[in-house]
Amino acid sequence: MKTLVVAERKDGQPRRVSLELAAKARELGDVEVVEITGERVSAGAAAAALATAARGADLVLVGATAAGRDVAARLAAKLGRPYASEVTEIEPGDALQVTRSMYAGKVRATVRLPLPAVLSVRPNAFPLPDGAAAPQIAPLAAAPEEGLSFVRFEEAKSAGDGRIPLAEARVIVAGGRGLRGPENWKLVEDLADVLGAAIGASRAVTDAGWRPNEEQVGQTGKTVSPDLYIALGISGAIQHLAGMTSSKVIVAVNKDPDADMFKVCDYGVVADLFDFVPKLTAEIRKVKAGG
Amino acid sequence: MNILVCLKQVPDSTVRVKVAPDAKSIVTDGITWAISPYDEYAIELALEHKDADPGTTVSALTVGPARARDALRQALAMGCDDAAIVVGEAAGLGLARALAAAVRERTPDLVLCGRQASDDDQGFVGMALAEALGWPHVASVTAFKAADGGGIEIWKEIEGGHEVWKASGPVLLTVQKSAKEPRYPSLPGIMKAKKKEIPERALSDLGVDQAGPVAEVVAMQPPPARGNGVILKDADTGALATELARRLRDEAKVL
Repeated sequence: MKTLVVAERKDGQPRRVSLELAAKARELGDVEVVEITGERVSAGAAAAALATAARGADLVLVGATAAGRDVAARLAAKLGRPYASEVTEIEPGDALQVTRSMYAGKVRATVRLPLPAVLSVRPNAFPLPDGAAAPQIAPLAAAPEEGLSFVRFEEAKSAGDGRIPLAEARVIVAGGRGLRGPENWKLVEDLADVLGAAIGASRAVTDAGWRPNEEQVGQTGKTVSPDLYIALGISGAIQHLAGMTSSKVIVAVNKDPDADMFKVCDYGVVADLFDFVPKLTAEIRKVKAGG
Repeated sequence: MNILVCLKQVPDSTVRVKVAPDAKSIVTDGITWAISPYDEYAIELALEHKDADPGTTVSALTVGPARARDALRQALAMGCDDAAIVVGEAAGLGLARALAAAVRERTPDLVLCGRQASDDDQGFVGMALAEALGWPHVASVTAFKAADGGGIEIWKEIEGGHEVWKASGPVLLTVQKSAKEPRYPSLPGIMKAKKKEIPERALSDLGVDQAGPVAEVVAMQPPPARGNGVILKDADTGALATELARRLRDEAKVL
């Protein structure tokens, strides 16, 4: 089987998900890794540039990042090939069987796709073997798309402070209404800092304007599956749970012992978070320092 | 400006989804149906544009089963000017082609879709519709406005901020979220919506090719059960913190 991996870079380095996909593709057979060069290339322009390379491949894999999902869908449509998004498992064969979630994570579906096909794959779905050889990435130039031009970038006021994007993070610390106000987010940030974590939020928090929309986890926000998800003061509405219950380890901290988050967690702490979280941050700092 | 919003009727997001005995669909008996959440944001964005510029018309369109008429009625009650349904079952590329055929009859300046439907969560049909129309698209949009000197300025949410794009001609946007929550229908809106005709056509009348390779759901199951977690409580918070950090390091091995 021949697989085309569409790689993405961030800060000059290939994204981790691109490396995960290249390693997975090598397991499946022959692999070619390409990337679109140039700044601010529209999805349509990227899909057009990829179409020729993709026609020779049985399978196209794209990381399910914001940009990747966009390009993958347009490319599948352009090629007229079956497509599945945010895939978490791939079973090879004459037709692929893939696993993906539906109904905002309330259902796990097995989807059959005749080859050739296009998939976007969720970050962290496949392990990155230690010492995996860095793939050769061939550059592909894209021509501008007719009728659409880039104007400018507007930075978000409370932009991620250089943190890892939520969807790709291995560790996430998320805050809910239990934090009582945006002025208390330092608690979340300090814990996230010692863990090297991304910051997430419940919908109640983004709707109240305490945190930017892009931090929202759950239905109408991001679906995440990090190694560790720490929920601080999040009661666990079904729409939020749908977006994070595929996390490997879930920690819930809440004053209310009946919070639904405790029903899905691996470790729950019933405590006042204003008292508990600084102590946890200090403990984890000690553990990280080898104490 | 003429805006067309394509929407899908899906199980309401507060519904507890249950896998049916055939293990490849969900139980739909007694389910509450609603407009897919991102499609509601798309309607809201379109209506905000109409509020600011009364010369705007906002139309709603769906391809789906007859029950999806209720979703259009809701869209009209929110303030859309007109709505139309194409009755039939289609998915993926076939659905995009059907929508494209219906869009072409209307010549809108702008087509809005939600960024993904909350049932299959694919995020495909919007892009596939743009491709079928031969239009550019911009995904994950949170705002748009008519640009000075013609064209449409579009705000696309990306990591760390927004990219602003400009479309000089017709364009398709997939909507991420509007700044405001989707409006509730007003009582006069509901009364007006009741009186409006919703023209109906059969999918088979569109003469659209439904053939081609498709992704097919062959099995569904509930996500792996979670729970029976270790609950730490009734102790000094310092002791709880030490205990949790130890378990995260030694048991869960995530530190």
